[in-house]
Amino acid sequence: MNLYDMILLGLSNLWRTKLRTLLTVLGVVIGIAALTSMVSFGTGMQKNITDAFVSNDIFTSITVTPKTLDFNEIASGNANLPAEAAKGDNKPLTDSTLQAIRSIKGVELAYPNLEFPARVKFLNDSASLTITAMPAAVANYKPYSDLLAGSFFLSDSARVAILREDMLASKLSISLIKNGEHQTLSHSDSAKGVRLMHPDSLIGKSINLITMSVNPSGIPSALFGMTSSSRGLPIEETLTELKIGGILKQRGHFSSGMSGGQVIIPIATAENIPRLGFTSIWDLLDHKKKEGTYASIHVRIDDLKNMDAVRKELEALEVGVFSIADQLQEIKRSFLIINSVLGAIGAIALIVAGLGIINTMVMSILERTREIGIMKAIGGSETEIRMIFFVEASVIGLIGAIFGLVLGWVVTKIANLVMNLQLIPNGVEPVNLFYFPMWLILGAIAFSILISLAAGLYPAMRAARIDPVKALRHD
Amino acid sequence: MMLIKTIQLGRSYKKGSIVIPALQDASFEMQEGMFLSIVGKSGSGKSTLLNLIGALDRPTSGSIIFKGKEMKTMTRTEMARHRRFSVGMIFQSFNLIQSRNALENVELALTFGGLPRSKRHKKATELLSAVGLENRLTHRPDELSGGETQRVAIARALANNPKVLLADEPTGNLDSETSAEIISLLKDLNANNGLSVIMVTHDFETAEKVSERIIRLKDGLIVETIEKQEVL
Repeated sequence: MNLYDMILLGLSNLWRTKLRTLLTVLGVVIGIAALTSMVSFGTGMQKNITDAFVSNDIFTSITVTPKTLDFNEIASGNANLPAEAAKGDNKPLTDSTLQAIRSIKGVELAYPNLEFPARVKFLNDSASLTITAMPAAVANYKPYSDLLAGSFFLSDSARVAILREDMLASKLSISLIKNGEHQTLSHSDSAKGVRLMHPDSLIGKSINLITMSVNPSGIPSALFGMTSSSRGLPIEETLTELKIGGILKQRGHFSSGMSGGQVIIPIATAENIPRLGFTSIWDLLDHKKKEGTYASIHVRIDDLKNMDAVRKELEALEVGVFSIADQLQEIKRSFLIINSVLGAIGAIALIVAGLGIINTMVMSILERTREIGIMKAIGGSETEIRMIFFVEASVIGLIGAIFGLVLGWVVTKIANLVMNLQLIPNGVEPVNLFYFPMWLILGAIAFSILISLAAGLYPAMRAARIDPVKALRHD
Repeated sequence: MMLIKTIQLGRSYKKGSIVIPALQDASFEMQEGMFLSIVGKSGSGKSTLLNLIGALDRPTSGSIIFKGKEMKTMTRTEMARHRRFSVGMIFQSFNLIQSRNALENVELALTFGGLPRSKRHKKATELLSAVGLENRLTHRPDELSGGETQRVAIARALANNPKVLLADEPTGNLDSETSAEIISLLKDLNANNGLSVIMVTHDFETAEKVSERIIRLKDGLIVETIEKQEVL
């Protein structure tokens, strides 16, 4: 008897007990649906995050710092801690370091990370924001190469600002009209003074940055209480007028903050804006901080495969090197754990379904004892009898897996739809929370068949070992 | 030519600490083409002997030589092979698979015999036609009379061209007229096709009519071996 005959025989046996087969398959369907929807949620999260990294070119970015900087601090968002960076006898990052980095093969771009706080006035609104300075050359890279409106600045000294799409809504009460969409403001938004504007209509409009700086000539007067300032500090406010050059697209829900601050301005323009040269209190306390040194330098490399070579050269410069790519394995490992936990929860349902298969198969053997005896009497070997039951179990697993995948997919689509129906009215872009990669689809089918075979093992062995003489006397 | 030879064949069963001998010291020989009957009362060990020859069971003592091969040392796979190709069995209770029709029951035996799918249908039809069931091919056992059902069982037993047909009380569930037809069919197969037959029956008269040798069993022991010449 060949495998094809066994499959046909198994199918016809299952067909004879349609209702019981259907109920058993249904158990597997629910198990697989639970398993795949759970794991697809984990893979969906992973995909959203890694996609956000990729779309922002994060994997080809390196942050260079003075050597003693604690990289965990950077990872937790406190990248600009020059006090930490400059303490001890470590080499500070200077222009010569910057030049040395630029000359490394594989480095496409290197510029100092320059961020400072400012109050931004636009139309009738104002908000305190973080300003990031960047060279015009970043325009060639994602996400700066693809703007929602306008274009990236072409000169490092242009008096232009690039605004982030999400910042406009959250800080400046501007809701953007998307192409081809008829948008209206909700009553609550209208009440809050939210304006509906087309992205293109913002381009060329003036935006004012108000920065604070210390006026050295005012220090003596401040010391002797001769100032009229209410705070008694020799601080001046400077207003810098820039034109809006472009609107930076929001890329995914996990990308905020990956591509700089909320307003991006050309690096040379930034250097000429009077401002307080600190972003935290540590800057003020750092007595060793010298002029002409940088807290960190942003490096972009041409290809991820050159990462190791560039890293070696950077380390030779005695600087600290940090890249998200280094954390990639860690991120993958974390998601593996998350997916395993989600998978384990889903697998419980499948194991319960497996018990259902055992029950069905054992019942089937009890009912078919005489039939098994007949098959043995006419020449069926133990292997063939075992295989017939294995085929029946695996067919239950296979059919259950296919329909389980379909059910899981439908359930996740509905869950996603419900979720997006909640998110869209709040101005959040639709998001795909679930993802079914090929390995999950094939893995679920294989796992289901494996569980079914494991469940069919005992019944099949039992069937194969039935004594034909006793079986033929069985009623 | 010698087909079967048993030497002091025995089969006993254990029930707790008690050993019940179902068959003891059974020694006999059977040549190819012979029609042999085993007669005796219920519980005399007839079916036990037939099951041992049919490799449905293993002896606890003695040996069976089938076409020169010792059966006692057969592996389970070899026993399955013996049941598939060397013997064909029919039973008092027919033992057809109730959910399958006549054709499918015969085809199942052919499937175990490894006949390609394309040839199975034709061969099964031929076998059923040979036992006079060409109009009952798609009938299930519960749609057939007792005689027809036993004919299907005979067709199935012949599917893989066995060396010997083992019939365990083949007429036990049939009326006298149908019984005569079945016995006649078995005798025809023996006489015309040269098929060896071992028939277990409690009906000495029937055995007498058709057998060349009769073995009489009593309480698990062969008490008498009657040759055809003596019967006649």
